[in-house]
Amino acid sequence: MTEHSLWRFSRALHRAINERQPADLETLLDEEVDWAIYGPIDMYPFFGQRRGKAAVMEVIRQIADNFRVHRFDRESIMLGVDTAASMMRYSLTALDSNKPISLRIAHFAQFRAGRLTSLRVLVDTFDLVEQTVGYPIHLPRMAV
Amino acid sequence: MTEESHRQRVLDFLNILYSGDVEGALARCTDDIESLANAPIDILPHMGHRRGKAEMREMWNAVRARYSELRCEVPILVVEGDKAAAFIRVFFRKSSNQRMVQFDIAGFYTLRHGKISQIREIIDTFDLVQQLLERDLAAILTGRKPELI
Repeated sequence: MTEHSLWRFSRALHRAINERQPADLETLLDEEVDWAIYGPIDMYPFFGQRRGKAAVMEVIRQIADNFRVHRFDRESIMLGVDTAASMMRYSLTALDSNKPISLRIAHFAQFRAGRLTSLRVLVDTFDLVEQTVGYPIHLPRMAV
Repeated sequence: MTEESHRQRVLDFLNILYSGDVEGALARCTDDIESLANAPIDILPHMGHRRGKAEMREMWNAVRARYSELRCEVPILVVEGDKAAAFIRVFFRKSSNQRMVQFDIAGFYTLRHGKISQIREIIDTFDLVQQLLERDLAAILTGRKPELI
């Protein structure tokens, strides 16, 4: 049974972030990969939409410069023929402040011939921002 | 049941829910439906953890009351066995001032006997809060000049 492309991609991604060894990941990205992590780009410049392998590798370098992954647990995963979706809980350390950050993310990946052609990542961004700034953001209560 | 039929069931459920038909959506859920959506409850007190049709009805009716128009697009849907994951782009028009709110949801669904029994959602909550408040929170937090939301 052939290994699903997601597993190779996942190993390479974490190697690129934690060990700063991006070579494996680079071989698993389509030249025209369409990549998006949704969130406030002025607080996290590596969020947002990117197109092409070089732009994505730069995003990975920026993430590696800012975070270290300690642990991730897949809470739900679905594998299609060339697609995958999963919901994960990540435990990270922000390298500039040494602050621990815990966040839940969802991703949707599309592969072609073993290479990633599209990735969409959604993050519970309000929770992430509160953890980053280090205090709760008080919002007005809205009537239901 | 085949994955293809599950795919269609989830699509039907989402289209019915995001057309505002709460009872139609509930009819496609098991009696012990469970839902969890992380969100700041200061601004979205009706969200969070809900269990059973009565609680789901209350939550969805609360959303329905706030918006005069609801619709969704589902550009990605991955199905495996009795589970499905959908990337959902939601469009709501505020009843209060007719402004459109648009945000993305990652919805993870478990089906049992053809009905939705579990929902987990991850939302770009910072963007959603900014749109609901119509304030550029990122500007406030970073000290840059606010943009129109």
